[in-house]
Amino acid sequence: MRKKIAALLIMSLSLMSLAGCGAEDSAVPAPESTAQTKTADGSGNAEKTIKFGVIAPLTGTHAEYGQGFDAATQIAVEDINAAGGVNGYKLELECQDSAADAKTSSDIFTRYAEDDEIMAVIGDFTSSCCKANAPLTEEYGLVQISPTASDPSYASMSEYCFSVMYNQSTAAPWTAESVVGHFLGKSECAVMYLNTDWGITTNDYFLSGLDSAGIKLLGDESYTENETDFSSVISKLKATGADTLVILDQGNVPTIINQVKGSGWDCQIVSLGPGASDQILDLCGDNAEGLVIPCPSYITADNPDTSDFYKKFYDKNQCAPTDHSLCAYNAVQALTEAIKSIDGEVTRESIKDALKDVSYDGLAGHTQFNDDGGVSRDLLIIQVENGGYVVKEKYGYR
Amino acid sequence: MDGYLISQIVNGLCLGLIYALIALGVAVIIGIVGFATFTQGEIVMIGAYSSYYVFLWSGNNLIYGMIASFMITWIIGMILYKVCYAKFFDSPEYISLICTIGFSMLLKNLAQIIFGAEKKPMLNIIENKIYHLGIIELSRVQLMVFITVIVMVIILSLLFTRTSWGLKLKAVSQNREAAALVGINVDKTAMIGNCIGCAIAGAAGTLIGIYYQSAYATMGATLSMKAFTSATLGGLTSVPLAALGGILIGVTENIGIAFSSASFRDIFSFGFLIIMLIFKPTGFGRKRGARA
Repeated sequence: MRKKIAALLIMSLSLMSLAGCGAEDSAVPAPESTAQTKTADGSGNAEKTIKFGVIAPLTGTHAEYGQGFDAATQIAVEDINAAGGVNGYKLELECQDSAADAKTSSDIFTRYAEDDEIMAVIGDFTSSCCKANAPLTEEYGLVQISPTASDPSYASMSEYCFSVMYNQSTAAPWTAESVVGHFLGKSECAVMYLNTDWGITTNDYFLSGLDSAGIKLLGDESYTENETDFSSVISKLKATGADTLVILDQGNVPTIINQVKGSGWDCQIVSLGPGASDQILDLCGDNAEGLVIPCPSYITADNPDTSDFYKKFYDKNQCAPTDHSLCAYNAVQALTEAIKSIDGEVTRESIKDALKDVSYDGLAGHTQFNDDGGVSRDLLIIQVENGGYVVKEKYGYR
Repeated sequence: MDGYLISQIVNGLCLGLIYALIALGVAVIIGIVGFATFTQGEIVMIGAYSSYYVFLWSGNNLIYGMIASFMITWIIGMILYKVCYAKFFDSPEYISLICTIGFSMLLKNLAQIIFGAEKKPMLNIIENKIYHLGIIELSRVQLMVFITVIVMVIILSLLFTRTSWGLKLKAVSQNREAAALVGINVDKTAMIGNCIGCAIAGAAGTLIGIYYQSAYATMGATLSMKAFTSATLGGLTSVPLAALGGILIGVTENIGIAFSSASFRDIFSFGFLIIMLIFKPTGFGRKRGARA
């Protein structure tokens, strides 16, 4: 019996190693991946499809945003397919969870890159993950269009890297000058930021904005992504006597707000990064009152431009979409616009070339990529009042 | 000593008490079952989710929440014992250790599938009242955690030293064969010991959920490692010394952060552990594995 088991084990291991060799062979990217034609229903009617891979943090600290990516990209694909597809192609999606971990994200990107059916990748959520994948985009010749990466150094890392989110080199200084300085009228503040590529870069730009606006920095503290207890950082910043706290983060913002209010520190909180998140209202309750958030869009059910998206998103995800989800929808729109403009065969390379020239008005406003693969977006100022978000300043504020 | 440093020490004490709460369960399990466990963080998470749903149903009734988390994690403890320990008493220790790591991953992923990946709010379970003792500020939840740790340490110490049931648990932890020879049902006793450790972690989960005002699938990941570190400092099996280890790690972390950055938190805690073990390999205990 033992011999039989041993023989079975050896056979299994041999098969696994053979399969591994096979995988290695297929790891060499095809010289040119093209859009697929396949028989979907077995009736012999060929259906031309273009498949996009989505990388999103479906679990972990940023799960709210990752699940928003998943839902929003699905809605975009359903909308486009319902309207007849693009250039005769139907769109398909595959979504995988990176948990906002750079290594996992790169593994998923490589898997997508080695799959000839995948014509472009939408994701990831964090700039750190997107930057980790940037060399792979070049190596495999596969576009990565991030809905949310706002680290200014990301999109310029490769000609295959794009982002439809604003850039922190403009947003962070604007937040310092226009939100903290002008809108709130503060002359000093303290800052907490996430110790990641995104957080460090955003903090640097924010501090330069404080400097040029003449706002005094009383404290500047970082923390790691898996932090759960912020009491020591809060005590440190509270001891500076600051009456304004700026949080540069996304997923940890509700926890920080609760711990700030729980510590008895009655300060004005501003947060750059989370957008108009329902999770903040749910998790913080009254603690979120007065919170100020600069964000590029505020999506509501009664806004005629976005109400359809809002309803579909709510049906899928049981929460209101943030700007991050809108950007995920917009990433699919950008790829669709690029494919529309391609004459001839749709390939990974032709999508990359076409993306550079897209210019359209979509749900997230006008989208046109600059030379670095990024976009410019204006910001709103919203504030929590009576348990909901209120737009305090519209686009074009200073 | 200025007010700022005192407030950081108080923060460290409160965080240390959270570590201590989980470390108590770790020490009980290692002491009685005889195997290390890396599932305590996930048991904490299950405890927090159990009370979250009971709070929704009962209108934030703390007693119901505590009972639910205690009972559900007791049942999880029974399953954990059967899966990770029962079959491996005669196998190398690392087998059950790896098994507990696998079990923790399974619980975490199942929780994400069943409860969703988003955080669940646990707001206003206890009124956020702040007490001022001179320059020291303490919230009501922090006081509750403090009292719970003290009460747990006393109850567990009395249980292990003053009751016949505790003596059975102690006998099993010291020599399984000898305990069996005097008529103790070793398997059942070890399983009860494991369930006690898990149920303590479950109750801790309720308090941690209330303290951080949320429950989510990954909430136990870091806490589990810190709890194990605390138990290691306490000599692995001693309940009061594991609590002391937790408190010292919390205070060390926060004093370190007071003079540097929160980004270095783990450097202080694990650095403290390494230095401590270099000079005193048994931790605070006289002998590693001995029950204090």
